[in-house]
Amino acid sequence: MTIGIHVPILAIAVPLLGAFALPIFAKVHRNLRDLWAILVAAFTCAMVVALAVQVFTSGIQLYTLGAASPTATVVQGGFPIRIVLVVDGMSAFMGLITALVGLASLMYAFQFLKEEQGKTLAMTLFFLLWAGMLGMEYTGDMFNFVFLEVTSIAACALVGYRTWESRPPEAAFKAMAMYTVGGLLVLLAVGILYGEYGALNIAYLSSKISGTPLDKVALGLLLGGLLMKAGTVPAHMWAPDAYGEAPAQAAIVLVANTQASLYGLFRVLFTLYGGALSTPAVGWLVTALGTLTLLVAALMAVIQTDLGRLIAYGAVSQIGYMLLGVGVGLTVISSRPDFGLVAMKGGIFHMMNDAATVGLLFLAAGVVKRACGTKDLRALGGLGHDLKWTSGFFFLGALALAGIPPLNGFASKFLIYESSFRLSPILTAIAVLGSILLLAVFVRAFQGVFLGPRLRTVQPAPLGMLIAMGVLAAIILAFGLVPDFFVRHMVTPAAEALWRGRDLYLAAVLGG
Amino acid sequence: MRLVTGQGFWSPLVWLALAAGVALLAWAFWFRGRRTYKAGTEQDMPFLSGEQVPEGAHVGGQHLYWGFVEGLRPFVDRVQAFHTGFLGDYMTWLVVLLAVALLVVMLT
Repeated sequence: MTIGIHVPILAIAVPLLGAFALPIFAKVHRNLRDLWAILVAAFTCAMVVALAVQVFTSGIQLYTLGAASPTATVVQGGFPIRIVLVVDGMSAFMGLITALVGLASLMYAFQFLKEEQGKTLAMTLFFLLWAGMLGMEYTGDMFNFVFLEVTSIAACALVGYRTWESRPPEAAFKAMAMYTVGGLLVLLAVGILYGEYGALNIAYLSSKISGTPLDKVALGLLLGGLLMKAGTVPAHMWAPDAYGEAPAQAAIVLVANTQASLYGLFRVLFTLYGGALSTPAVGWLVTALGTLTLLVAALMAVIQTDLGRLIAYGAVSQIGYMLLGVGVGLTVISSRPDFGLVAMKGGIFHMMNDAATVGLLFLAAGVVKRACGTKDLRALGGLGHDLKWTSGFFFLGALALAGIPPLNGFASKFLIYESSFRLSPILTAIAVLGSILLLAVFVRAFQGVFLGPRLRTVQPAPLGMLIAMGVLAAIILAFGLVPDFFVRHMVTPAAEALWRGRDLYLAAVLGG
Repeated sequence: MRLVTGQGFWSPLVWLALAAGVALLAWAFWFRGRRTYKAGTEQDMPFLSGEQVPEGAHVGGQHLYWGFVEGLRPFVDRVQAFHTGFLGDYMTWLVVLLAVALLVVMLT
């Protein structure tokens, strides 16, 4: 048997093992720890990419834990009793985002983190978070949404491990409280579904869910928990606190973690409840919340004086665009498929673009904090004289986030604007207004931080940090200049996996 | 090299070609301008209504965009009012979100 068939579980197990073994290697020697981290990261990325290639070329990949054969998902009688990993186009796409962000974060962390400030702890938590995100994205089992808790614990610890400062632990505590309540809502929903159908497999549950009152209660709980964890207005306030206080290499992974929750929401709406949601009401709910999120977060970004919190509100507003795109698709899934799929592509494409642009902005902000010891916009200025590459990267990220052509943010927003316009022009008007606000906010931040006379002399960013930012900048340019290539080969399979892929998903797992 | 949307298309290469044309036009205007600019002189100093600019002065973004922020202030103040920073309020809004989600789901 080749290693290829075990790729789905290896992509989760390797970073998990990496996390627990890393402190042991650190005890021996820090160089051994770094070597271990590089090996684990390289192997994980290779597994994720290999799996994505398998999915995009051969279709859904399955892995059954504990079975004689990894593809034997059901026992005699057609009941899927074992834990199953199901990787379709959407899961593979999310895995690629997670791998990209993780790689950039680790490259940056090597030179950004200081040994005496918990470098080993931060790297351990990073690998734990990475494994949790991949687990959430690849699972075909509702109970394996327990990875939601793995990500919550690791994310909160990453926000608050710098206990020598006062604000990070406070932000971590708030996030932990919100995550705990959100996680309990999800667990309650899983319990209801298990009590009702005696199973936790997503495909099996999807084939049984018919829209009973209990099904609806479970859906409401899942929506509440996952929307909160995705940072949706009005339950978004923990996100700017957490993103703003997290160190840069952690903030970028927190963005991907938010997207993993968004993925969970989409999986629930399109696959788990895909056969029972016949009215557009839930689609309108997601659309309305997305529109509210992008506008409220953009308005809040206007008045921020801390660079980290400013980028954090920008990140929350981007969640709104993703919800808007996918919400429009969900609203018209049965009535107007002509532009519904375009909206879905826009929302899903924006997930990748958001990870690269917001990630780049957070990493650039980390360089500023490292150089000046502050992210207060009122105390910064003229850094472009010494941080030339960083200022260039920040400017690129800011333009991409605001959706300025020809960068990647424009390509995905263009799809969202066009399709949402056909549902309601008001949605498009608000979405464009949000982008204009963000452009003004980020141009203001760029002018304040990087332009003007030199106020202080600072050390330029080390090469490793510049390379990490350079990788994300290259993604921004590539996805912006040839969007059709990436949309055709990556985004369309992901969107179609949600849009019309439920039947294929069920057939792959349950047979028939 | 075109991203087709169903209603139209987006081509970054066409946009870049147009942007290059505009840049060329701008350069042509600049090239025909006065040649009295000297870098590193007082010409590089910001103009603050004719006031004397102190050494090392930096007109930050918050000053340049003061009018922009003040214009949005009525909207921003309303949004800011519910960003209290208190965990209890965060929980309250989570309950509101949950109630709305349950209401929409149960009524459909």
